[in-house]
This record gives sequence, structure tokens and C-alpha cells, in this order.
Amino acid sequence: MEHPPEVSQQLVRRLQWLWLGGAFLLVGGIIVWIIHLIVASWRLDDVIQASVGISIVAIPIFLVFIGVVFYVFWGVALHGGKRED
Amino acid sequence: MAEIRDPHEDILFAPIEHSGPGFYWAVAGLSVLILWGAIAYMVQYTQGLGVTGLHQPVGWGFYVTNFVFFIGISHAGTLISAILRLSKAEWRRPITRMAEVITCMVIFIGAGQILVDLGRPDRMMNVLRHGRYQSPLLWDATSISAYLTASLTYLYLPMIPDIAILRDRLGKRKLLYSVLALGWTGTEHQQKVLNRAIAIMAVLVIPIAISVHSVVSFVFSMTLQPAWHSTIFGPYFVVGAIFSGIAGLIVTMIIFRKAYGLQYYLKPIHFRYLGQLLLIMALLWFYFTFAEYLTGYYGAEPEEMKVFWAKFSGPFWPFFWSMVLCNFVIPLLCLTSLKQHTVGKVLIASLAIIIGMWLERFIIVVPTLSFPRLPFPHGVYAPTWVEWGETAGSLGLFALFYLLFTKFFPIISIWEIREGRENSVKEVEERILSYLPGEVEEKT
Repeated sequence: MEHPPEVSQQLVRRLQWLWLGGAFLLVGGIIVWIIHLIVASWRLDDVIQASVGISIVAIPIFLVFIGVVFYVFWGVALHGGKRED
Repeated sequence: MAEIRDPHEDILFAPIEHSGPGFYWAVAGLSVLILWGAIAYMVQYTQGLGVTGLHQPVGWGFYVTNFVFFIGISHAGTLISAILRLSKAEWRRPITRMAEVITCMVIFIGAGQILVDLGRPDRMMNVLRHGRYQSPLLWDATSISAYLTASLTYLYLPMIPDIAILRDRLGKRKLLYSVLALGWTGTEHQQKVLNRAIAIMAVLVIPIAISVHSVVSFVFSMTLQPAWHSTIFGPYFVVGAIFSGIAGLIVTMIIFRKAYGLQYYLKPIHFRYLGQLLLIMALLWFYFTFAEYLTGYYGAEPEEMKVFWAKFSGPFWPFFWSMVLCNFVIPLLCLTSLKQHTVGKVLIASLAIIIGMWLERFIIVVPTLSFPRLPFPHGVYAPTWVEWGETAGSLGLFALFYLLFTKFFPIISIWEIREGRENSVKEVEERILSYLPGEVEEKT
């Protein structure tokens, strides 16, 4: 039986970092967009309280998401340790 | 500790390892629906919204109905899964994955309805560049983004151990599984980290899910339109979302139980418990509907009464009474006794509820716009083949995404089933003993 070729661990790790970078990019993009809306409402003097009020709730939520993802990446991929059977 | 391997586990890998003719037939059938949707969208894109039944004063029709409906169905997954996980309902184990996948797939389809409804999708950029947070539409965009991010994370995290199993077992897609498994080997430290992360997400996802459908309701209730301006719209929408979500989950479970032979994992007891939940939600839905319409009727505000009578005995009566039949009468008849023919009864009730909840969304969106408060002439909404095509295409796209997911990842969480066999029986026994009268160990 033919065995499939083993995948390069270096490539796997690089792609994992890329995956994490993508997650940061997504959440970072949303946060930048929310901040942009605050700046726009401030510039136009257009009920900035609404933008700030919603941002105070929304931005920390997105930061918690990315925090959880990073925590899992850190704990599982980087410092998961080796299994002793 | 040695893992207790289930002798029936192979059945969970079977759809990933090979595809039978049924799969290809299903893909072909769904592709036809998607093609119909794509053609409809191309016609609408090139000729404008004039090819649809959307005209003044009814500017929202099928697309917004579908948006609310699909976002509602998305509550099946993450919310139900999180509640069951936090309440340590052990029967959740074969269900949670299916539920979480529904959420992720359906949010994309739901949010896409707004793009379709725009007519000019390029104008979406205006929302990103010049959006204003005074508008509930922007609240929607923010909360749906949060829900989507949370749901994707909440789907992915419990999949890591299963992806590692696939990486070690299968000969194909080695790179994909190796990357996504994050080097999982099942060490104590890894399990601790993952369990903590899942617990955080489970807690976080519940208020986010509730906020999403509350905010969807605010799009309507923040206006002064008759039959929309209501303080209970938020909870009413959330109840309806969970209601339709459970129904959607049950139908999905039954389809895949049959298609993949999962009878060993998805037992009648699971359908009985979900059926009981469905019955509770049916009663709750009826209570909210009754309260909503009674308040409007008692106030007897003239503009409100036009919409009220349009639904009860006017042009929308077939939809309104079908909704009551599908959401209340049929579920009540099917679900009050689930001792026999459990799966069949729960399936009939769930299909009725899915139809009924779509009608409910339609009944909320269209009649109010047909009889607006402002002095516009009254309008009639009749969808064209374009809207039917978009709707069929959206359903096809959802089903195809779901089907493809099952070809890459196990639809039932393997490690959670193993964990259940290894630890939960003892844990549940200890938990039950701790509820019963006996000596109390004080922990302060």
C-alpha cells in the first residue's frame, strides 16, 4: 500500500501562523471600521454618543474573541507539550 | 488513561473517506437550485430591482423575510449548543456539532440576503465608509459580525481534537488537518486550555446570540410603522429564532441520520428531548404572539387596525392563519405525546414550524409596508420568479455548504462521545448523589 507523503512541519507551522494572522486581520479590520465610524460621527458632529456607546460594548467583545483564539494557539500549538502514554 | 473506542465510530468517518452516488445526486440537485438563484440574481443585477415584485410602498419582501428567517435559524446552533453545554446536558454530545455548523452556514446566507436586496451591491461600500451608528441597520451589521466571529470560533475550538483524529487516521488532506489541528496530541495541558476556551466562548456566545435577534427586531420596532413599533419585538424575535432554530436542527439531524446511517448516535431519546423543547417554545411563541396582537387590538389605533385586519381577514389571512396552524396547532398535536413514533412526529412538527416561522417573518415584514402610516397609496406585493429563484438558490447554497462540510469533518463530535463514555457516567452519578439528601461538604 502506498503511504501518502509526510507533510513538512515547518510548512504546517508557517500556515498556522498565517491562519492566526488571518484571524487577527479579520478582528482588527472590524475594530478599525468601528473606530472609523466614531471618527466620522465626531467629524460630522453627528451624535457621537451612539457611536461611542456601541463601540464600548463591541470592541472589547472582539478583543475577547481574538484573545481566546490566541490563548488556544499559545496553549495548544506552541506550549501543548508532548503526550506521555 | 486508554481511550474507550466506539466500535461504531467508523460510521462517522465513512462520509469523509468516500462518497457514494447519493452524494453526487444531492450535489447535482442542489446545484440546479443554486443555478436558478444565480440566473435570477444576474437578471436582477443587470436590469435592476424592477424585475422583482418590490415596488413602492412595499420595498421589503422576500429578501428581508429571508434575512430575518435565516438569522433566526442561525440560533439553532451556537445558542442551543452553548446552553446545553453550560447546563451539562449530557445528551447534547451527538448534537452540538450539527447545530454549530447550521449557525455558521446560515449566517452567511442570511447576511447575503441584504446584499441581494440592495439591488446595487456596490453601494454596500457606502455603509462601510459612511455608516452612522444611529441607524439600527448598523447595529445589525455590528452584532451579526460579532455573532459570526463568535460562532466560527465556537465551531472551530471543539473541532480541534477531531481534526487531530482525522490527521492521524486519514491518508488524505494531511496538510489541511495538520494545520487546523494545531499540533493537538491530547495532553493534559492542551485539554485544560481547550476546555477553558470553550467555556469562555459558551458563556460569551449566549448574550451575543440574544443581542443579534433583538437588534434584527429593532430594525422594525425603532420605526413608527403600524404593527412594528412594539416594545416586545426584541424578545418576540428571540423566542421565534430559537423556535425555528430547534426545528431546523431537528430536520437536519433527521436527514443526516437517514443519509449517513447515524441511528446508533442520534436516538429517539434525543428527538424526544428536542421535541419537548420545541413544545415549550411553541407555547412561548403563542404567548408572545397573543400578547402582541391583543395589545394592538385593544389600543385600536386606526393605522394599526388596518394592518391588523389585513392579517386576520384581509389579503394576508391565508398566510396569517397558516402561520398559526403551522406554529401552534400542528406542533401541539404532534408533540404532546412522544411515546410512540417519536422521530416522525417531531419531523412533522419541525417541518410545519419552519414553514410557519417563514410565514411569520413574511407577515411581519409585508403587511405593514402594504398599509404604511404615511399617506402613500396602499400596495400589493407579489413576488416574481426572481425572488423565488433567489430563495431557492439560498436554500440550495446552505444545503450544499452543509453537505460539503460533512465531507471534510465529522458531523458528530467524536472526542465528546469518547469523553462521555470515559468520564461522564461517573461524573453524572456523582452529580446526582450531590443533589440528594446527605452529608454536606462545606466549601468556603
